[in-house]
Amino acid sequence: MLHLLKIEWLKIKSYKAFIIILSFFCVGILASNYMVYSVFSNLSTNQDTQVVVQEFNPFKFSGVWQTVSYISGYLLILPAILLIVLVTNEFTYKTSRQNIIDGLSRAQFIGVKILLAFLLALLSVLLVIATGLFFGFRSGTSFEWTKFSNVGYFFLKALSYNLIAVLMAVMIRRTGFAIGVYFIYMGAENIIAQLLDVWSIKLKNANNIDLGSMGDYLPMSASDGLLAFPNNPFKELAKNAMPTEYFGVTLIMVFFYIILASGLSIRSVVKRDL
Amino acid sequence: MDILKVNDLSKNYGYIKALKNVSFSVPQNTVYGILGPNGSGKTTLLGIITDVLKQSGGSFQLFEEAPDASHRKKIGTLLETPNFYHYLSAVKNLKITAAIKGRGADDIDRVLDVVDLTKRKDHAFSTYSLGMKQRLAIAAALLGDPDVLIFDEPTNGLDPVGIAEIRELIIKLAASGKTIIMASHLLDEVEKVCTHVAILKQGTLITHGNVNEILVNDDIVVVASSDNEKLKNILINFPGNTMVLLSDNTVKVHLPNGTANLEEINRYCFERGVVLSQLQLRKTSLEAKFMELTN
Repeated sequence: MLHLLKIEWLKIKSYKAFIIILSFFCVGILASNYMVYSVFSNLSTNQDTQVVVQEFNPFKFSGVWQTVSYISGYLLILPAILLIVLVTNEFTYKTSRQNIIDGLSRAQFIGVKILLAFLLALLSVLLVIATGLFFGFRSGTSFEWTKFSNVGYFFLKALSYNLIAVLMAVMIRRTGFAIGVYFIYMGAENIIAQLLDVWSIKLKNANNIDLGSMGDYLPMSASDGLLAFPNNPFKELAKNAMPTEYFGVTLIMVFFYIILASGLSIRSVVKRDL
Repeated sequence: MDILKVNDLSKNYGYIKALKNVSFSVPQNTVYGILGPNGSGKTTLLGIITDVLKQSGGSFQLFEEAPDASHRKKIGTLLETPNFYHYLSAVKNLKITAAIKGRGADDIDRVLDVVDLTKRKDHAFSTYSLGMKQRLAIAAALLGDPDVLIFDEPTNGLDPVGIAEIRELIIKLAASGKTIIMASHLLDEVEKVCTHVAILKQGTLITHGNVNEILVNDDIVVVASSDNEKLKNILINFPGNTMVLLSDNTVKVHLPNGTANLEEINRYCFERGVVLSQLQLRKTSLEAKFMELTN
């Protein structure tokens, strides 16, 4: 396993797109959280909003874990795009073929890409933890573990985004097209999710069948639904929290999609011509 | 030992049958040419053997075992086009090849020297000319000095000097006891370096075996005199001939492989009052045989 990672590292360490996208991601996480932090800092010095914001400051421990995880979630598209570029490059330049010819098994070839998706998710989590600690202490509060589970949900979301990216890359194999489809799919899933939500309400009203908001069980919506902005007076700024009673189902769906995306990616590489 | 044994191998791309029930074996220490015109299935066949393509039917063995990744590590392969990371230098690309193969990391300088790329070894692959890319692909195949090599059109994109160098290299490798499987549509390439040949036409294996058995059927003695008509009539009765043809300014006498004796023909004609102005032995050329087989 380490040997395969070493080979992967030889491939990507000098790749400019890898360094640039990853740098954007690291800086982006810090910057986006800082932007929201600044808004709350300004509000806390404004006499009209001072009292409310101090009470709900989302960057205090332990709310900071939820806040930073939620905000950083919007940047997970960057490692996903990076993975699409890295994987589709192997097909564009036929190095996928050469790797197999030289003696990698097909399972090893795709296995290490899935491992890379996992490691990028792990790196994202480390960034979120560092950012959370930074803003938590900066808000003048002391460390708390409560709500740290949100960091775990962030990891699942990152893994989910990354593995869907790997799946699209191995299925489509062309960089621009795969990135395009990834974005189109994100938009399309939102529309489908809303239609399913409307249907869910109809089912509930007409037949008294309550399955929750079914739109939330779709691949990307499910992992999005694990994270929400902490309850605050500016609720309209962000998505409402998931209804608690369906959280378990959503969590199971996220695991299901993670396994499904990995399985389909492996199948595609192992079975198809390269 | 058979390095490669192909049993009834087929490959379909939709309705197109790229390979139809092909079977043959490549013995150790041979230079095995896979010959055929463009689109005859050569690269498809090698693609299946190297696991980049999946066969539709049949099977194959490497080193007399069911094929797996560990066998490919022992084979140096150049398939179709040079495939490298475009942003990495020759040395960094070969480090990846060596890491995958699990050997050859200390062999990089040697193979780059063999293909004359030492001066450009630290430049990115994307800056290379077509010929340089092909040379790097050959260097990658040679990495770690494998006993078995697969070359698919190895002289593609090379200039005449490069072509001569690579052919010389292949002959040298063969002489050192390596087994080489080489696909080519260039007849003289196969003729010059191969000991065995398999000829493919539209996915079908037409014939295979020892080059000397397959490609040389007849000895052809080309003769000429001041009266070729008379010469032809005399030679029709020459013992052992299979055919006598009058063409342009010469007469061609076909004899079974290895039986032509020029001295005897010369004497035979002289004794019958014809003085030869030309006397030359030719083997049936591979080209003629190839055209005969594939048309």
